[in-house]
Amino acid sequence: MTVTREQAEPEPRRQVMQVRKRNGDAEPVDVNKIVKAVERWVTDLDEIDPLRVATKTISGLYDGATTAELDKLSIQTAAELIGAEPQYSKLAARLLAAFVDKEVRGQQVASFSQSIRYAHGLGLVGDDTAAFVARNARKLDDAVDPAGDLRFEYFGLRTVADRYLLRHPQTRLVVETPQYWLLRVACGLSQTPGEAIDFYRLMSSLAYLPSSPTLFNSGTRHTQMSSCFLVDSPRDELDSIYERYHQVAKLSKFSGGIGISWSRVRGRGALIRGTNGRSNGIVPFLKTLDAGVAAVNQGGRRKGAACVYLEPWHPDIEEFLELRDNTGEESRRTHNLNLANWIPDEFMRRVEADADWSLIDPSDAPELPDLFGEAFDEAYRAAEKKAVRTVKARDLYGRMMRTLAQTGNGWMTFKDAANRLSNQTGAPGNTIHLSNLCTEILEVNNDAETAVCNLGSINLSAHVRADGVDWDKLRATVRTAVVFLDRVIDINYYPAEQAAASNPRWRPVGLGLMGLQDALFTLRLPFDSAEARDLSTRVQEEILLTALETSAGLAERFGPHPAYAQTRAAHGQLHPDLWGAQVTQVERWAALRDTIAAHGLRNSLLVAIAPTATIASIAGCYECIEPQVSNLFKRETMSGEFLQINTYLVDELKARGLWTASIREQIKRAEGSVQGIAELPESVRLLFRTAWELPQRALIDLAATRAPFIDQSQSLNLFMSAPTIGKLSSMYLHAWKSGLKTTYYLRSRPATRIQQATVAVTPAATPIVAVSDDEALACSLENPESCEACQ
Amino acid sequence: MTTVPESRTAVSPGQRHLLLDPGMDLTLRPMRYPQFFDRFKDAIKNTWTVEEVDLHADLADLAKLSPAEQHLVSRLVAFFATGDTIVANNLVLNLYQHVNSPEGRLYLSRQLFEEAVHVQFYLNLLDTYVPDERERFAAFAAVENIPSIARKAEFCFKWIDSIYELRKLRTRADRRAFLLNLICFAACIEGLFFYGAFAYVYFLRSRGLLHGLASGTNWVFRDESMHMAFAFDVVDTVRAEEPDLFDAQMRQQVRDMLAEAVDCEVQFAADLLEQGVSGMPLADMRDYLQHVADRRLAMLGIEPMYGSPNPFAFMELQDVQELSNFFERRVSAYQVGVSGTVSFDDDF
Repeated sequence: MTVTREQAEPEPRRQVMQVRKRNGDAEPVDVNKIVKAVERWVTDLDEIDPLRVATKTISGLYDGATTAELDKLSIQTAAELIGAEPQYSKLAARLLAAFVDKEVRGQQVASFSQSIRYAHGLGLVGDDTAAFVARNARKLDDAVDPAGDLRFEYFGLRTVADRYLLRHPQTRLVVETPQYWLLRVACGLSQTPGEAIDFYRLMSSLAYLPSSPTLFNSGTRHTQMSSCFLVDSPRDELDSIYERYHQVAKLSKFSGGIGISWSRVRGRGALIRGTNGRSNGIVPFLKTLDAGVAAVNQGGRRKGAACVYLEPWHPDIEEFLELRDNTGEESRRTHNLNLANWIPDEFMRRVEADADWSLIDPSDAPELPDLFGEAFDEAYRAAEKKAVRTVKARDLYGRMMRTLAQTGNGWMTFKDAANRLSNQTGAPGNTIHLSNLCTEILEVNNDAETAVCNLGSINLSAHVRADGVDWDKLRATVRTAVVFLDRVIDINYYPAEQAAASNPRWRPVGLGLMGLQDALFTLRLPFDSAEARDLSTRVQEEILLTALETSAGLAERFGPHPAYAQTRAAHGQLHPDLWGAQVTQVERWAALRDTIAAHGLRNSLLVAIAPTATIASIAGCYECIEPQVSNLFKRETMSGEFLQINTYLVDELKARGLWTASIREQIKRAEGSVQGIAELPESVRLLFRTAWELPQRALIDLAATRAPFIDQSQSLNLFMSAPTIGKLSSMYLHAWKSGLKTTYYLRSRPATRIQQATVAVTPAATPIVAVSDDEALACSLENPESCEACQ
Repeated sequence: MTTVPESRTAVSPGQRHLLLDPGMDLTLRPMRYPQFFDRFKDAIKNTWTVEEVDLHADLADLAKLSPAEQHLVSRLVAFFATGDTIVANNLVLNLYQHVNSPEGRLYLSRQLFEEAVHVQFYLNLLDTYVPDERERFAAFAAVENIPSIARKAEFCFKWIDSIYELRKLRTRADRRAFLLNLICFAACIEGLFFYGAFAYVYFLRSRGLLHGLASGTNWVFRDESMHMAFAFDVVDTVRAEEPDLFDAQMRQQVRDMLAEAVDCEVQFAADLLEQGVSGMPLADMRDYLQHVADRRLAMLGIEPMYGSPNPFAFMELQDVQELSNFFERRVSAYQVGVSGTVSFDDDF
């Protein structure tokens, strides 16, 4: 940009405000024209005032603006009214859809097949998909649902338009409409037009969405559709470390999120025989990884992202825990890396017993990363005599808690539970060495094989009515989802040979869930109620059971996955058995066992609950299994800022005649909490508690109860406004004891916040806004959103 | 360190210290103004560093801006180039000297550090946004060569100078002059000029533009909110101790001062928006500034002058809890100070 010093000559004012049309002609702004454009979209929306949108749009315009600016401003204007009336979200979405439509049609694209042909000519769509669409053009063109875009909310469609639709490489104009996009994704994974149309309809109904890499890349020239890659620690040598940098860069380039262990690399001060020098430890290497990850741009959509896993016996563990601090030496900080602790039970036992903990250099005990359970305990104890240093287990645990509180990072994941409760560790030599970027994937890997997982999530809110869950519909969705997740494995483009070596052998997939909170609101169940826990568990049992049935059916047709003999399922042990969990659908499980005994399974793993940050936005539901974070909050993304209101609460307030400016102000002042609204009965306030207001014990117990029906893991965030070391250490000990394999971010809130600029002030009030322990519940705050590489 | 013996002699034994009594009180115990100390501790929890803000992503956005928007941004960053330095100067030259409470001075020391971080942030911003050296120098010299910015600077200098000669607040008139300076920096400069500038940043962000600038601004805004709150806390404390200082004449002076500040900021807005920016008409910006000015008056217990409602929905968004995506930006939510020891029976 340039700093302009001279002011341009203002043009002489015209009497009537003019806009410039796309063809260059000027015409006067006409309020009626805008009103008509709005009215077209609001037949099913009774609370919209088209004139209000039109006049407000015109007042924000300047003389000589373009019609494109006018269109954009009308979308923005509608979006700004969402706070007072959530229906404006639908209106803004529809105006945006019309805008996108105009942009696509402006390039002489009038149908789905034309859009594919055009995008193929531009080098965006792959040859196979282009040929498939050309062969079936009429059927596919007819399948496009003209009402499909009406289902989007504004934030979801804005995200789609800005980041998911294919764009012309030079003009940057979008070359497909939202419905063409979903149909393109379906075609990229289909063998027949019927199959493509069924899958398209499921996605277009927003009842199920595959993860972002699939939504980005299906049907394109680089069909990298997997979300997660789990890379084993480099061997303890320079060549291996630099090979890993290269591998991570290749995997990052096409939207994958990386988990990588570093437990095999020797610590600071260890001897390097080749040069007779001393090692600088793992931090300088991680600094290089940090820069490498940031340098990779994922198709202009976002920077690469990685999480580094380290076992707590590694001598550099303390420095590792400081990598995300915002003070200290910059050369020892990695702001782009996420951090996770990969914790053996022995460490937690010593924390509980207040015992010592030995830090051991991996060059002295190279076997430790590959062992778990009793074999690890034995080897660790034997290696303790070679310890580099001894610390109090509780001191180290306290430092882990401090890192969680200060950075939200340093996730607690449990090595022994992860391995003991996995289908993939049925034969010796197969070990899970880490989880992934979002802590929901747990798969074996090794030096030559990088584990891969592709994901998708069911929108539970689309399977629930006021009278309960529509189980038939849920089963149908699971069956379709598993088939298409499995399909990805064969069509996928693998950016690294290590990934291509692993995925066809194990064929793992991760079918997840989103919109649990929507379902609980619809059924009016408080998040921490016994009924909620039961529902969440029954839903999870249904999903795992149906997924296993579908996978066994695939095995019957195509054979079991090649490594099937090494799984626990091959010995008749299914995931709930590993937990000793009670099942409710006894007969179906029994029948399933027979089918598996006869045909095996096509997939070694089936279920994982990913964070769903972005696809939940697209589907317009709450994220994965999380409680709502606030009844009123905003999202900031690359597309701008978006107000999000709990529409279930709005309906409740409207029904009670309480949806007034003063109540809205009250909710805003309380930063999204309704606990202070005396007009609401206790039961309603309980229903609409936020994550900050729920006991975290309930979140952990809910997760632990459904865990026997999740054969990988779940991205479980925990929330604490004002964390203390005491609270955190109690909470994570409980999480470990309840058998959870992994936890994810610790969400906390800033110490003070920006003074509210638009809420009325009380005269001479002292606007201190510190959040102390006591007032933390009433005053909620900025809070990070979760991972998106996974979803 | 210099000891000023006067601090002990200024107040005879048994007589209560007042906050604006001249001197350099050194005794933290018993603590007279624990609320200032609490603010000091809270401010420390908000520590952030310039290195945490990634501005490079903004460069692609800058290339996309229309000429009118480019003009807006170039003027805006030119204002930022000097704004915080002016505040820091007044803090050192005037506030620190006269707020006679060691815990209050702890807070001011912390504020000074924060102003320095802001200066560094805007230095980084200009170095990144304006790659051409000559243009960059011109931007840093904005106080001298851009009239709309020069006028705001003159307003600030006038109030810095108004008490620059005052070494001690001996008389009632001295104290009133000090209060006016304090109110000017809290209500007009941090509370209006900066709030005006933040509005442009948040306007751009609401359009999905310049996230790096917005994320840094978020942190600056949070700090400035604290500075303003502290200053008003000092005003309230002085008013409670010496109620007669704040009379009708003073109220009128505050009103006049704010009206002048609004005029300054409106002429700045007219410059920024002169080429027409869709979604941000000058009339709305004027309403917004008047709305903010009324809020400052309300905080001082003075009747509003304008009665303008806030026209900017995107500013209402600033009052709402933020969720931001870890993959897109870093969040400003985390706490730096955490206390306690490991235990296993805490409630959670």
